[in-house]
Amino acid sequence: MSSRIEILNDGGFRSDGRKQYELRDITIDLSQQGTADGSAMITHGLTQVLVTVFGPREAKMRSQTLHDRAVLNVEMSVAPFSTGDRRKRSRADRRILELSAMIASTFEPVVQTTLYPRSQIDIYIHVIQQDGSLLPACINATTLALITAGVPLHDFVCAVTGGVHSTSPLLDLTTLEENDVPHMTVAVMPRTRKVTLVTMETRLHVERFRELFELACEAGQTIHKEMKAAVKERTVALVGAIDAGSKPGVVDERDRDVFMGESI
Amino acid sequence: MAAVLLSKSERAYIQSSLKATPPLRADGRGLLDFRTVLLETGVAPLANGSARLNIGKMAREGGGGTEIVAAAKLEVEDVESGDGVDGGRVACSVTCSPAAYPHLSSNALDELQHDLSVILQQTIGHPSLHPRNLTIIPRKKSWLLNLDAVVLADAGNVVDALFMAARAALWDAKVPRTRAVQYRAPEALKSAKNDVPGAMDVDEGTSGFDTRDMARTAADFELPDYWDEGETLDGREKWPVCVTLNLLTPRHFLDATPAEEASVPQRLHLMFSFVPSAPPTLQAMRLLGPEELDLKDLKESIAFGEQYAKELFTALETKLREEDNRRNIKARDRFALMR
Amino acid sequence: MICFASFPATSDASGSYGTTRHHPDVEDDVRMDLDEDDFEEGVQRLTVPGESITSSHAFMRGHGTYVDDEEVIASVAGTVERVNKLITVRAVRSRYNPEVGDLVVGRITEVQPRRWKVDANSRQDAVLMLSSVNLPGGVQRRKLESDELQMRTFFEEGDLLVAEVQAFFADGAMSLHTRSLRYGKLRNGQLVTVPPILIRRLKSHFVSLPCGVDLILGLNGYIWVSKHVKQSDQEGEEGFDAEAVYSNKNDEIDDATRAAIARVSNIIKVLASHFVPLTDAVLLEAYEWAVDQENSVKDLLADETGENLVASIGLGIRP
Repeated sequence: MSSRIEILNDGGFRSDGRKQYELRDITIDLSQQGTADGSAMITHGLTQVLVTVFGPREAKMRSQTLHDRAVLNVEMSVAPFSTGDRRKRSRADRRILELSAMIASTFEPVVQTTLYPRSQIDIYIHVIQQDGSLLPACINATTLALITAGVPLHDFVCAVTGGVHSTSPLLDLTTLEENDVPHMTVAVMPRTRKVTLVTMETRLHVERFRELFELACEAGQTIHKEMKAAVKERTVALVGAIDAGSKPGVVDERDRDVFMGESI
Repeated sequence: MAAVLLSKSERAYIQSSLKATPPLRADGRGLLDFRTVLLETGVAPLANGSARLNIGKMAREGGGGTEIVAAAKLEVEDVESGDGVDGGRVACSVTCSPAAYPHLSSNALDELQHDLSVILQQTIGHPSLHPRNLTIIPRKKSWLLNLDAVVLADAGNVVDALFMAARAALWDAKVPRTRAVQYRAPEALKSAKNDVPGAMDVDEGTSGFDTRDMARTAADFELPDYWDEGETLDGREKWPVCVTLNLLTPRHFLDATPAEEASVPQRLHLMFSFVPSAPPTLQAMRLLGPEELDLKDLKESIAFGEQYAKELFTALETKLREEDNRRNIKARDRFALMR
Repeated sequence: MICFASFPATSDASGSYGTTRHHPDVEDDVRMDLDEDDFEEGVQRLTVPGESITSSHAFMRGHGTYVDDEEVIASVAGTVERVNKLITVRAVRSRYNPEVGDLVVGRITEVQPRRWKVDANSRQDAVLMLSSVNLPGGVQRRKLESDELQMRTFFEEGDLLVAEVQAFFADGAMSLHTRSLRYGKLRNGQLVTVPPILIRRLKSHFVSLPCGVDLILGLNGYIWVSKHVKQSDQEGEEGFDAEAVYSNKNDEIDDATRAAIARVSNIIKVLASHFVPLTDAVLLEAYEWAVDQENSVKDLLADETGENLVASIGLGIRP
């Protein structure tokens, strides 16, 4: 089916009108969801992922705790209506378990788990919609949810997909493009430029790999800026509210006797 | 529905407040007051109809609330091969997020979602509610209507929320218009098929063309117009609503919070369908809890339930029509912008 | 009785980012400099994980930071705080980080041999040792085997209590004690939870409002709202009354007090959703406003009333 669609036309445009290196719109919502300690909803184009984080908290199963650090528990669920073809996947689905494991191992070196021995950090990922770049969306949302939950991280983790159409590299692929071109996912930590995840399930020429890999790392920095801006904006708003509440006028009053109703 | 830990004195406090005259609830609501319900339809562009619903969300950073996303999705089924049923069928499923029930084990979670799926399937999939326009080609092809709901958060009253979300998603669902075609040459179909990925609206995209059995069947169908979302489901007014009466004899109250759910001995789920110009029908009923209920009290409760369900139904209907309007205006604006 | 509304538009909440498409080649400097202004003296500095704060030669790293390559780097998003040479970053939102001496409200999750496990919104359940509670028959008596066998008569699963953080175990779990007449089992009211950062360390965390409502502001974000009990009654005539201390029965509570408890609870929820730190002064001001407005208790939870309430005390998240 994809053979009829031009992945990259002569004008240098992709099927959805983007240029080669252009990323899709990113929207980020970090507002509180349910009773979670932290949550983030991210959309990359039509791909939409909600991540909620609980913890660090008492482990549900004591046998699984580690005496020197916290356990990262990643559970993923994909809404049956998230894809073009409806497909209900159980939580034990192979693909889902594989993605969860990949996300857990991506964050293992990033989260400062040694600060919370015997605890558990639960990361629940909900895929609401998918149109390519699913793994990067999950990773980016997980980073943001962990930050809103106040879980200490060494750095952001920013992920992006890249693919090669004949010899031209493309970034942030849609489902259509993922079906047609060799592609990979790269997750970077922007400060040190360390890479925490590279995964590729298709074949790619070694020379192309290098070029694409570097490009994807660069794109990770761009995504980092968006994510950082969202976190800053929320932090400014919340800290502002707290500061307003601790303004001098209020603080002074704090010292008086708190038992105001004693005369009753 | 989840087991919340509550101390004896908390439970006693909730019960005695509910029994006081006038009764008072922890958040100041009256016995029959619902928390504010937030509703939006058309949230999943890849589905044929969808809705997101939240009961009791706090403003801004408050979070909370029972949150559900429901979506209806149509798939073509072949009747002759035995996969489908002539006239189409309806299949419901509920997925509960572990985030909604952070204290449940995964087994308990599976049981809960199975239980909710069964309630939804038995009520929504009942023959008396079956939409008549799920046939594509009689005795050959029909639509399978999948209704999937995801419970993202549970802050009490999840069954009522589930049915409201289900009704909203089904209300929103559009069945693509189809036209039967004669099988002549593969080219004609191929060219039609190629329009699919290019179309902006992917709603009826892939599912609309199931060409697996092309060679065997002499007649198939095509979608005459890709830009048209299609027609609404037949009898969409009929989809039921649920009201849950939390029974604390002699009183009952609606829209319980988790703490309230843990404090009452019995709950009665009542699913009503309101067809215009016909008496309301009780589509399903479920009594939960360790105590028994007098037949007389049950009858009384059903009568009350019908009244509350009617109010709920009317309010939901108004909101759904508002949503339809809002999205029509939005679509029109976008269209105007494109020109 | 039932009313429907729409979800708040997320585009408003998320502000200006995400409106333009981005390109790795195009450097977006504007955003890079967002935080530069915050570095001035006297202005609170905000940071995000992975951001370098200062050199590790001149400063020491505290909570919320780590050292890499001779730099002190933030590991959480929040405000940078400096005490002499110690740099810490306080996360804007997180689970409760206990300190010895803190007053917390917790819920029993498990009864174990000679100890209770208590959920206190922290990284692990807290521990309350049998030896850390007052037992019937005199404050200073020896623990007996019979006490071990009837631990559930003191506290059972689900019970709420107020306690003080006594010490920490090697793995970071906190141990609590209730050896004060003001601590122990909670009755006569309901629990409200808020983000722990909204509860500041106050002179006293037991607050009595003039409307006949007592509050216990647990530093872990759990707030107990209950009927006012006079200090002398609480302590009992003979100093310690085990019957009353471990009772599960509520006192008689009149309707006006119940309404006041509900009103105060709703006010706390509204203030917390607007991220207003909860102090006795703020709560009192908000309560007076709510009574002046002659709103019914449930109206407080309407978004608009909530906005007005927060605006009236001049606090909350700025749009």
